[in-house]
Amino acid sequence: MSRTRARTKVAAAALGLTFMLTACSGGSGSTSSTGGATNAAPVTLRVQSTDPGYLIPGRNTVAYDFDMAVWAPLTWIDDSGKLTYVAADSVTSDDATTWTITLKKGWTFQDGSPVTAQDYVDSWNTVAYGPNAFENSGQLAHVVGYTDLNPAGGATPTVKEMSGLKVVDDQTFTVTLDGPDGQFPLQLSQGQTAMYPMPKGASADLAAYNKHPIGNGQYEIVGDYAEGETITVKKYADYKGTPGTVDEIAFVPYTDTATAYTDVQAGNLDVAGVGADKLIQAKTDFGDRLYAFKAAGIAYLGLPLYDPRYQDIKVRQAISMAIDRKTINEQIYGGLYSPATAFTPAIELGTPVGLCGELCEFHPDKAKALLAQAGGFSGTMTVYYPGGIGADAFYTAIANQLRQNLGIDAVAQASTDWAEFYQTRLNQKAPGPFFSRWGALYPSQQNHLRAFFVKGGGCDNCVPWYDDQVASLLKTADAQVDADKAAAAYKAAQERILAEFPAVPLFDEAYSYVVSDRVKNLPTSAVGNPTLTQVVMADGS
Amino acid sequence: MSATRYTLRRLAELLLVFLGVTLLIYLAVFALPGDPIAALGGDRPLPASVQAALRVRYHLDEPVLQQYLRYLGGLLHGDLGQNFAGQSVAAKMAVRWPTTIALALTAWGIEIVVGVGLGLYAGLRPGRLGDRVVLAGTILATSIPVFVLAVSAQLLFGLHLGWFPVAGDDAGWPMAYLLPGAVIAVFGLASVARLMRGSVAETMRSDHVRALWAKGLTPRQVVGIHVLRSSAIPVTTFLAIDLGYLLGGTVVVEGVFNLPGVGNLLFQAIRAHEGPTVVGVATSLILVFLVVNVLVDLLHSVLDPRIRHV
Repeated sequence: MSRTRARTKVAAAALGLTFMLTACSGGSGSTSSTGGATNAAPVTLRVQSTDPGYLIPGRNTVAYDFDMAVWAPLTWIDDSGKLTYVAADSVTSDDATTWTITLKKGWTFQDGSPVTAQDYVDSWNTVAYGPNAFENSGQLAHVVGYTDLNPAGGATPTVKEMSGLKVVDDQTFTVTLDGPDGQFPLQLSQGQTAMYPMPKGASADLAAYNKHPIGNGQYEIVGDYAEGETITVKKYADYKGTPGTVDEIAFVPYTDTATAYTDVQAGNLDVAGVGADKLIQAKTDFGDRLYAFKAAGIAYLGLPLYDPRYQDIKVRQAISMAIDRKTINEQIYGGLYSPATAFTPAIELGTPVGLCGELCEFHPDKAKALLAQAGGFSGTMTVYYPGGIGADAFYTAIANQLRQNLGIDAVAQASTDWAEFYQTRLNQKAPGPFFSRWGALYPSQQNHLRAFFVKGGGCDNCVPWYDDQVASLLKTADAQVDADKAAAAYKAAQERILAEFPAVPLFDEAYSYVVSDRVKNLPTSAVGNPTLTQVVMADGS
Repeated sequence: MSATRYTLRRLAELLLVFLGVTLLIYLAVFALPGDPIAALGGDRPLPASVQAALRVRYHLDEPVLQQYLRYLGGLLHGDLGQNFAGQSVAAKMAVRWPTTIALALTAWGIEIVVGVGLGLYAGLRPGRLGDRVVLAGTILATSIPVFVLAVSAQLLFGLHLGWFPVAGDDAGWPMAYLLPGAVIAVFGLASVARLMRGSVAETMRSDHVRALWAKGLTPRQVVGIHVLRSSAIPVTTFLAIDLGYLLGGTVVVEGVFNLPGVGNLLFQAIRAHEGPTVVGVATSLILVFLVVNVLVDLLHSVLDPRIRHV
């Protein structure tokens, strides 16, 4: 997560570096809810946000905080990777293809109407319907019928409903996927906001609904959303799950992360994200009020495999072993990241930690020898990364190490902005090794392996190598319902990737936050973001 | 040429400049590398069908000139278009202009009071210590980048001393605007002080001022009435033009102090490659600048009857 310094909040937002995910119930335990019965002023948690534009879950790209306070997900994955049910009573399947979702009884939307299976089906259809152009519709892409709602070439679809969704009764609906997928319950978890329900009638006037969203979660919006202004949510009294802790959460929009950081220091703001380039300073400024959450995010050094100079696997391995991850971690990230040891971050269940072995360790002599065996490297190696996101120090360090440890000419080069970088990478025009990262919205190896190694899987051309063998190994792994079998199968896919070594794993990311001294504990979940609804305040509320 | 004809001519020029500038900005935004819709979801790509639908919705599938003409057509109906989140650009600007205007006027006020005061002080004692200190101070002030100044002022006066709010406009005017206003004012303030100093020093040496001294007027009368008025013309011109700059030059400071003004909006829009927003905001900034310029020219003849627009 290259979250950034001055004036780059916007860039980060644009990057959809979705670490603003926050919260919902699930974790019971610390429910020191003082309740609203006291006559004291309401306890308000003030949180940094980016003015979202779209609040509604099918469209949000930077409003995860808000969405996760106002809606409850079907399932929840805690920071140990354990899955529990929130709005769902159960999610079951015999064949991993057709899933039956049963909802908890008695839950209501914040307008008082009951949450029904029909609401879920209607919401998902609205999100998936092509002409609505909902940004998060891709989260439903594997439901049967999605392609009918999104015909190729932008033609108007003839149907408005996905054939894979069937309402059984008020509390139950079934979802048929386009293939067996044992990870489906994880896909229903807190980060995948497209799966949240909207109440009846919301679809009829989405603009009005975006102004005053109504969810099924712990907090309800106070008043209407006005562009550029602070959004306040208050505890929803009739919430049936674990209630929120603080009385109110205020989402204060900032365009500049550095300003939010200073405002936390001054005590005007309670929670703010910290850019990767500011971690060392934050350690000094905040001490134990800096939280670095292990996140479902991993950074690779992407390699331009379309360039003949990178064809020899020895060159790719040499690059990997020439990078001193430990030192970079200490010098740039204050030791808060973790050197990657596999192709998925360690937090994802079943990740074969250590799989990469010495290839992901610093062995400059072996690296040099490998490069020599491959016949050396001619010309300049240009490490290419997006400018304006605070990643300059990191990529300069990478280029320096490649130059020193491999004895080649290596430089770092930034793009003008994210849009330019993104298109360059997408079109396979990157001049050399490049920025390549992915943060998962649900912590499963499936998410990362699909994003990086399946065509159209998400991180397109982050690893410009699409291998049929990997694709079929992943299909096999997806079909496993048993967690251990799935882990073994995903490991097999990772072994195949390791054998070709198409990209260099660098770091498991940490998403970092600073808090004011009013906050005693900032909990997190498996997606690596603070669970704002379960914050413990210093004054005991 | 009569004043009316002059005004009309200037307004006609304004229209031409307006057309040229909007076209240029539109083309410039279009020429930015990278596809705004593809990057809309950050590093999460939008499904192809979603991208196609958004392109059609915002007319990005059309050639750039057609987009521009469509934009102009909308302008005739008072429609400034919408951004990629479907929000009306006009509505966004309407919400944000008051903040920017309040900020610019605050800065302007500081610039006038402090700048004219310092200039007068230095101009009355040319070559002496006070003059040199003002000169050195103004050189120093103009050489500090506004970003550095803004962040330093924020840390010192906002965070450590706590005299002003760190950021945001919750405190309202004037508290929330004084510190950012002073930061913006510093650059223009230095110019005002030096212009004023030169002007005052020169006027003090002029014949009519010596005649006034000879007549036995008090220093208060000489300086307060006659010197100030004669020295005001170059400074007034500068101040008026500077108001235009101030209105457009708040991008950095609005960001650092988290004030929701148009500068902030422009910055975000450029990052997102949002043509309609960039053109709308930039054009309105340019229009303000041009109108202020016309007003200044007209004001000249009021201040100094010898100046005629012929």
